[in-house]
Amino acid sequence: MNPITPIINGMKITLKHMFMKPVTLQYPTERPKVAARFRGLHALNVSHDKAKCVACYLCPTVCPAKCITVEAGEDANHDKFAAVYEIDILRCIFCGYCVEACPVDAIRMTGEFELANYSRKDFVYSKDRLLEKK
Amino acid sequence: MVNLTIDDNQVTAPKSSTIYEAAKLNGIKIPILCHDNKLKPFGACRMCLVEVEQMKGRQIPACTTPVTEGMIVRTATPDIVKARKMVLELLLLNHPIDCPVCDKAGDCDLQNLTYEYKVNANRFTDEKFHHKIDYNNPLIERDMNRCVLCGKCARICDEIVSFGALTFIDRGIETKIGCEFEDALNCEFCGSCVSVCPVGSLLARPFKFKARFWSLTKRKSVCGYCGTGCNLTLGIKDNKVLTTLYDENQGFHKGQLCVRGRFGYQFINSNKRLTAPMLRKEGRLTESTWEEALQIVADHLKGGNSVAALATPRLTNEELALFKKMMVENVGSKNFDHSAGYAHSALTEGFVRSFGTSASPASILDIQKSDLLLVIKTDAYETHPVIGFEINMGVKNRDIKLNILSDKRGKLSKLPGAKTLVHRPGSEVAILNAMAKSILDDKLVDASAASVPGFAELVKELAAFTPEAVAAQSGLKAADIKQLAGSYAAAEKALILFPIGQAYAGHNAELASAVANLAILTGKFDKEGCGVLCMAEKNNSQGAVDMGFYAQNGGMDGLRIIDACAAGAVKTLFIAGENPLISYPNHTKVKAALGAVECLIVADLFLTETAAMADVVLPACSFAEKEGTFTSTDRRVQHIEPAIRKSAQCKSDFEIFSALITKLGGTPPANPAAQFAEISAATPGYAGMSYLSLGSEGVFAPVAVTPALVLPKSAAVVAEEGSLSLVIGSVLYHSGTLSQYGEGPMHVCPEGYLEISRKDALLKNITDNDPVTVTSSAGSVKLKAKVTSRMPDGVVFAPYHFGAAPVNTIWSGAAVTMVTLAK
Ligand code: SF4
Ligand code: SF4
Ligand code: SF4
Ligand code: SF4
Ligand code: SF4
Ligand code: FES
Repeated sequence: MNPITPIINGMKITLKHMFMKPVTLQYPTERPKVAARFRGLHALNVSHDKAKCVACYLCPTVCPAKCITVEAGEDANHDKFAAVYEIDILRCIFCGYCVEACPVDAIRMTGEFELANYSRKDFVYSKDRLLEKK
Repeated sequence: MVNLTIDDNQVTAPKSSTIYEAAKLNGIKIPILCHDNKLKPFGACRMCLVEVEQMKGRQIPACTTPVTEGMIVRTATPDIVKARKMVLELLLLNHPIDCPVCDKAGDCDLQNLTYEYKVNANRFTDEKFHHKIDYNNPLIERDMNRCVLCGKCARICDEIVSFGALTFIDRGIETKIGCEFEDALNCEFCGSCVSVCPVGSLLARPFKFKARFWSLTKRKSVCGYCGTGCNLTLGIKDNKVLTTLYDENQGFHKGQLCVRGRFGYQFINSNKRLTAPMLRKEGRLTESTWEEALQIVADHLKGGNSVAALATPRLTNEELALFKKMMVENVGSKNFDHSAGYAHSALTEGFVRSFGTSASPASILDIQKSDLLLVIKTDAYETHPVIGFEINMGVKNRDIKLNILSDKRGKLSKLPGAKTLVHRPGSEVAILNAMAKSILDDKLVDASAASVPGFAELVKELAAFTPEAVAAQSGLKAADIKQLAGSYAAAEKALILFPIGQAYAGHNAELASAVANLAILTGKFDKEGCGVLCMAEKNNSQGAVDMGFYAQNGGMDGLRIIDACAAGAVKTLFIAGENPLISYPNHTKVKAALGAVECLIVADLFLTETAAMADVVLPACSFAEKEGTFTSTDRRVQHIEPAIRKSAQCKSDFEIFSALITKLGGTPPANPAAQFAEISAATPGYAGMSYLSLGSEGVFAPVAVTPALVLPKSAAVVAEEGSLSLVIGSVLYHSGTLSQYGEGPMHVCPEGYLEISRKDALLKNITDNDPVTVTSSAGSVKLKAKVTSRMPDGVVFAPYHFGAAPVNTIWSGAAVTMVTLAK
């Protein structure tokens, strides 16, 4: 082979890409569009202005990273609710088992992936913080 | 034995067994939902259907069908599986299936069977139930929407508990389990129904929503309340005891517990527990360090005979033995005791002189083997409820005759055929003597009795106790006393039971000898189903006696120690777990005595009324946090291991005594096991025992009896004109003063009261819940009135457990106290 051919072929590709849409995102000014099935930060679903979670303890049971803490409480109507619901996102492996286990569709995973933070305790998402994500 | 074939296996089974039992015995599993091996076969659910070839392949319930010779049984043919699936579908039809919020999930028979039989869909549709949920009591929630009508709750409450709170009401699809008049549940709250309910219909409210069954660590232990010695399984999560779990194979009682054992565990993780040693500085208790506190204690213990000790018989055998060793060897004092002294005198004096041993020559297991039970005081049920269950079952299932001699009626009096003689309070010993006299007069004496030492003297001395004379003083009929004696003597096997305890001052050495005389005269001891069972009050009362932790060889007993404190003879008093200010007679005197000692040391779980007066308070450990052994009232020695880690600042009494022995220049044993090795070498009956040999069920320490006949002294109680006779005692929901820190018992019985007969109430114009001022020669106290039909006229009853309005302000240790009432 002519030693110049590979160079020309390479330059062809380079030239072609000059006229294509770039893959690289200029993050953070440019934002990615995550897929619907992306497994990012959890969110607790709300229905009738209340968290749907009934504190059944299935997600902390199934969680392989053991990062979910649930403590059930009894409300004035003797119904069960999650008095404490916490996810330690530092330990979470984003497997989505919790979503799969939930019998009442109370938890989902959002597209949120920007989870960096300054202190360890900020990685523990309390019920309030998980509910905010709608 | 019967030979039969189950699923092609040749098996044998006892003739009396059902197909289910035969299969279980041979390791073949038949699913059940409504069957419980403690209850009579019922056959309500049809989960256990099997095919029997001889019955033309018809499907029959295995749990109710007895085995027959040559039977060929199939337990899992496709037809049967189909039938069982159908049963489940029908059960699930009206069932709410709210497993996510149902506390039973994970431990639910219906859920497990549904999973096992893969019932994923239902062919039928129907409306769900809309029964109102009973939240009316703080311990048991009843949600009849989830009920599968197995009837276990109603059956256990009737067959074993004998309360009868629950039953089927309505018919057909409307059938449900209800209480009388469809009212709220108001029973003795033993929780037996909760323990057997296969679904989430009956739930323990103190544990509701606290944790899932599968996340609990299960640890076996022994109940820390009464002397019955029931075995417990504690449900633990995050180092906290959250509940007690039912294990139908545990203990002689097959997992049955009373309200205290089942619902009284909260004291273990109570936030009222002491967390650090405290010293009195400038009149106030302030937190300190162990080093400082122990040094002060050790310095004060160097006083020889001016040091005295009181311990609660809730400590382990190891702790009591070590405490004694410390007092004798390192302190040099003989002044130590437990239970105020008189509360163990039935064993340590009465049985010692009559039976030659300080233990009961009978066991709880003898109840079912007996023909006749003679119970002294109906309170025996309240003090030892699970022994009460045994009595219930014996009377109901085995037609055992039950005779009761009591100063009031009680739950036991309601058993079928139970005969209760209600006598004037305080005349028990005279009546028992009259029974002995009647046995002698009617020539019902066993041949062996004449050669027992003391026979001739007893015959002579009993002359004054003719049934006629005693009848006059006790308020009974002479004929009744004779008949009671006659039936006791005539029974082939007869067992006498009586409770002892700090509230039962009359159940002392004299009473013990009086009952022992009956057993010895009729030869009813040392035989199966016979003997005398002295029901010791606390979980290790018998152990405390076996360890010799009581006044001997000239040492002062509990009450004399209190006197000596007041007189200044005792300068240092070490109290481990006792609460004499509330539980010993004469509040004023005890208070003065505790105030008079130079150094009062209290090791306890809580800042009890007594601990609040102390100069040094040491935070100790509960039974769930330590290792050791407890000896039940029938001398079953049981081993406990720590179920949870103790908190950093608490020390078990064993560690406290060990540290003090070191400070006093001695060498303590390495660990409880080493101490137990010493105990087993030195204690009669404990020979050869080790933690390993005790296993999970414990081992009985044998009791060797050398009978002797002794005339017990009986003091006549003279009723005063215008006064009522006050008897004190225990209530079902409490044991000593410890149960005040258990939320369960306090939910149902939060305060002391005065039980009074209807007639007396009417005379004094008192109605239920009226505050009444009760006055005796010792003082007065305000109690709520409780008007009941069980009290005889002229007699009132008050429980002794409560610190809020202590009954010992009016009671100074007499079996009967004369009191007047004012509104
Ligand atoms: S599985 Fe669902 S309902 Fe159960 S605790 Fe988790 S989020 Fe709540
Ligand atoms: S009783 Fe059993 S099947 Fe019914 S809701 Fe509760 S856990 Fe589920
Ligand atoms: S708690 Fe005991 S007494 Fe009450 S209903 Fe249940 S079994 Fe009966
Ligand atoms: S409440 Fe429970 S134990 Fe009672 S019948 Fe219903 S399912 Fe059976
Ligand atoms: S009978 Fe006694 S030992 Fe048994 S559970 Fe009740 S309190 Fe505990
Ligand atoms: S277990 Fe046999 S019919 Fe219910």
